[in-house]
Amino acid sequence: MRAVIAAAIGLVAAFAIVLLVTAVGPPDGSTSPEPLLTTVPAHP
Amino acid sequence: MRRRSSLVLLSLAVFFTALSPLVRWYAFPRLAKIPAGQYQAVVLEARDATLLDYGTMRPKKVAKVSIVQTLKGDVEEARRIDRATGRDVVVWDGLAYVVGPDGAMVSQVPERYVFDAHTQEPVHAGGESVDGDPVERRGVEFKFPFLTQKRDYYYFDAQARSSAPIHYRGTQEFRGLEVYYFEQTVPWTKVPLPKRMPVEGVTPQTVAAMGMERWYTTKRMFWVDPVTGAPVNGEEVHREEMRFTDGKQRPITAFAGHVKMREDYVRHTVDLVSSQRQAVLLMTSYLPWGSLLLGVALLSLALLLEARGRRPAAGGTGGVSGAKGSRPPRCGARARGWSSPKHRAASPP
Repeated sequence: MRAVIAAAIGLVAAFAIVLLVTAVGPPDGSTSPEPLLTTVPAHP
Repeated sequence: MRRRSSLVLLSLAVFFTALSPLVRWYAFPRLAKIPAGQYQAVVLEARDATLLDYGTMRPKKVAKVSIVQTLKGDVEEARRIDRATGRDVVVWDGLAYVVGPDGAMVSQVPERYVFDAHTQEPVHAGGESVDGDPVERRGVEFKFPFLTQKRDYYYFDAQARSSAPIHYRGTQEFRGLEVYYFEQTVPWTKVPLPKRMPVEGVTPQTVAAMGMERWYTTKRMFWVDPVTGAPVNGEEVHREEMRFTDGKQRPITAFAGHVKMREDYVRHTVDLVSSQRQAVLLMTSYLPWGSLLLGVALLSLALLLEARGRRPAAGGTGGVSGAKGSRPPRCGARARGWSSPKHRAASPP
């Protein structure tokens, strides 16, 4: 019984951490203030 | 103490083993996305190209034509479309700005590309367009999906405003990266003139009034990092002609050249993709395989501890513990480990 509980704790923890991380997700950032280029840049 | 350790190890083993498929097949498709606010520029060059002089309407050889391709993510517009469609989208405003050898503008074609941030599928919302003309894309443009496959894709051609297959032609090595080589040939196709022309007073309407139309063909080549789907190099063998609608006069070459990414941008792109692919590999390979192996190792350790805990002392009444006279020999589930309370209750004292 204790083994089942231990396994369940591990499983729930794995689901919880993955669900939490995916729910937060990566940030979108913001629109760059840089313009669309109309000159040839000297370097990247 | 050993019982508690083996239970903790079992719990961790299950945690890491479960983490492996969850990261690969649940988290990765949801976390791997193109940032909505991405900004990037690339410069391509065609050396010893042929370019039409719209003043004289004669083609001339020029030392170099540069194409500056900028892509800029519009985060606010992406959020608006997210809310409207329920999809995580990216809105790219792009500009292909062509510069002649004297630094003057040859043509400029703006476009808007709306696509799913995860799968790269086009999303038909938010005013996707090319040079002000509404378009409906099919397939990919600029970038391939994460974990690009060895198969043909549809690639959107901004000049023709339509999509056509781009063919997987094999795996190659490019600057130390294993890349997939894709190739698309667009046959001679009638295409619209850019709305912004290089000569004042010349417009698509005036050109059409002269009885001319623009035709184009290209062989498009991409070397794509299959992990990120990002092209690390791109080339085009590109030809454009002004053809007379009456068919009596010979076509005039408007542009002919082999367009290649400028060397510093190739190096920059390879460096960028090399670092970005690590983040994708972390979720598709390193974490899933690492946690699976760790889970199996921890499970083995937990089983080993449990087995040692259950092992009966040698000789039944003797052995080490018996010799010390500290405890009577114990065995089975009673001794220690993953036994249930019921099992323990049934064991002899």
